[in-house]
Amino acid sequence: MSISQFMTNEHRECDTHFATAEQAAANGNWEEAEKAFLTFSNETLTHFKREEDELFPAFETQTGNTQGPTQVMRYEHEQVKGLIGKMAEALEAQDKDAYLSLCESMMILLQQHNMKEEQMLYAMCERLLPPDLKEETLEKMKQVAL
Amino acid sequence: MFSQNGLSLDQAPPISVVFRFFLSGSIFGLLAGILTLLFGTDIFNADTSQALILTHTLTLGVMLSFMFGALFQMLPVIAGVKLTAPVKKANLVQYPLVVGVLLLLSAFYTGKAVFFISASMLLGITIIGIAFIMLKNLLALPNHSHSTKGMTIALSSLILLTLFALYLTATLAGLLEGTLYSQVKTAHYSFGLFGWITLLIISISFQVIEMFYVTPAYPAFISKSLPLRLFGLLLLGSIGAFFFAQSWFFVDIVIVGFLLCYALMTLRRLSQRKRPIADATVWFWRTGMMLLVLSASATLTTRFHPIPSLQAINYIFFAGFALSIVFAMFYKIVPFLTWFHLNAQGYFTAPMMHEVIHPKTAMKHLYIHLATLAAFVVSVYFTPIIYLAGSLTLLSFGWMLWQIVHAWKLYVHTQKTGERFEMTIPKAKD
Repeated sequence: MSISQFMTNEHRECDTHFATAEQAAANGNWEEAEKAFLTFSNETLTHFKREEDELFPAFETQTGNTQGPTQVMRYEHEQVKGLIGKMAEALEAQDKDAYLSLCESMMILLQQHNMKEEQMLYAMCERLLPPDLKEETLEKMKQVAL
Repeated sequence: MFSQNGLSLDQAPPISVVFRFFLSGSIFGLLAGILTLLFGTDIFNADTSQALILTHTLTLGVMLSFMFGALFQMLPVIAGVKLTAPVKKANLVQYPLVVGVLLLLSAFYTGKAVFFISASMLLGITIIGIAFIMLKNLLALPNHSHSTKGMTIALSSLILLTLFALYLTATLAGLLEGTLYSQVKTAHYSFGLFGWITLLIISISFQVIEMFYVTPAYPAFISKSLPLRLFGLLLLGSIGAFFFAQSWFFVDIVIVGFLLCYALMTLRRLSQRKRPIADATVWFWRTGMMLLVLSASATLTTRFHPIPSLQAINYIFFAGFALSIVFAMFYKIVPFLTWFHLNAQGYFTAPMMHEVIHPKTAMKHLYIHLATLAAFVVSVYFTPIIYLAGSLTLLSFGWMLWQIVHAWKLYVHTQKTGERFEMTIPKAKD
C-alpha cells in the first residue's frame, strides 16, 4: 500500500465516523453521537499526528522546504482541532442546532483540506520521496499513536 | 516545482469580492422579476426582443455575476490558482459588467446602434479579459483535477461565445453585413447554454458534490472525458452548420445523451452520500438535476416535434436548472465564508454557519423557488399566472438579497464588536 492510499483511506474512515455522529445527533441519539464523535476525533487527531510527526518532516527534509504547503497543512490542522473542541462542547451540552451547524463548517473545512492533501501533497510525496524513504515513512506512520 | 500558493488558504480573496458579485446577481434577479411582470408571456417567444432581454438579464446579469463570484473564490482555494489583486480585479469586472448588461438590455429594447456598440465594448473587453486571465492561471497549474480541466474548457467556451456575440451585436449595430448571422447565433447560444453554463456547473460539481456531501467520486467516463467531448461536439455543430444544415440536429441529440448521463449520475451520487442529512442545498441540487433531465428530454422531443408550448417550458426547465444550482452553491458559500473568514481572523464570536443562514431559511427559499417554477409552467397554458410567476421571482431574489445583506451585517458587526486572538501558524519541526 502506498502512502497516498493509506492516508486517503484514513480520510474516508474519518468521514464515515463523522457522518454516523452527525446523523445520530440529528436523531437526538446523543449516546451514539458521542461514541462516533469520539472515534472520529481520535482517528482524525492520530492521522494529523502521523502527518506532523513523520510525513511532513520527511517531505520537508527531502525538498528543503519548511515554509510551504506543510506549514499551511499544519495551520489547517489547528483550525480543525479548534472545531473539534467546539463540537465536543456542543455535544456535551446536547445542543443539536449548534452541533449540526459546526458539523457543516467542519465538513467543508475538512474536505477542502483532504482534497488538497490527496490531490497535491500526497501526490508530491509519492513523486519526490525515494522508494526506501517512502516505505520507511509509511511504517513509522503506522506506529504513531496519540 | 509546485506552487506553494496552491495549498494556501491565505489565498482566499476577501469576502467582499464574492459578496459584491452575489449582490449584483441578486439585484439583476429582481430586475428579471420586474421584466416578467412588464413583458408577460411574450418572454416565451424566442423571436421577441422581450425574450432576448429577459434571457440576457438572467444569463449575464444573474448567472454570470454568481459564476464570477464563485470562480473568484474557488479558483484560489480549491484549484490552487493565484489571482493577484482580487479586489481590484473584481471591481474592474463588476462595474463594466453591470453597466454593460444594462446597455445591452437597452440595445435590445431600442435597437439603437450606440447602445449595441457601447455594450459590446464594455462586455467584450471585460468578459474576455477576465476569462483570459483566469484561463492563463489555470493553464499554468502543475497539477490538474478533472474539475480544473473542466473549468478551463468552460472558460474557453465563454471566450468563444463572447466573440460570437460581438459578431451578432456588430451586425445589429449595422457595422457588419451579417451574412453568417443565423449560424453564429446558434453557435452563440449553444456555447452559452451548454459550453459555459452547463459545463461550468458540471466542472464545479466534480469537486463540490464529493466535498459538500461526501459522496463517491464521479466515474472516470464522466469526469475525465465529458467536458472535452461536450466542447468538441459544440465545435463540431458550429463548424458543421456552415456545410450541413442538419448539423445541430445530430449534435444536439448526442449532447442531450451526455447531459442525461451526467444528471442521472449526479442524482445517484446524491443518493449515495455518506452524510444522510438532506439540507436545502441537497434539494436544490436534486431539483436542478431533475430539471436538467426534463430539459434534455424536452430538447430531444422538440427536435422531432417542434411544439411551441414545449419549447417555452424547456426555457423554464433550463433556467430553473441553472438557477437551482446557483442557489445550492449560494447557501453553502455564504454561511461558510462568513464563518471561515471571521474564524481565520481569530474571532471567538465568529457566528456559526446556521447563525448566518439558518437551514430553515434556505428551505423556505427552496419552496419559493419551486412555486416560482410551477407558476411559470402554468403560465404557458394560463397566461394571467405569469404575474404570479413574476412576483414570486421578485420574492425569490429578494429573499436571497436579504441573506447577503444579513450575512454582511453580521460579518461587519463581528469585526467591530467581537473578541479575537492572534492566530499563529505553528512552526515546522526542524
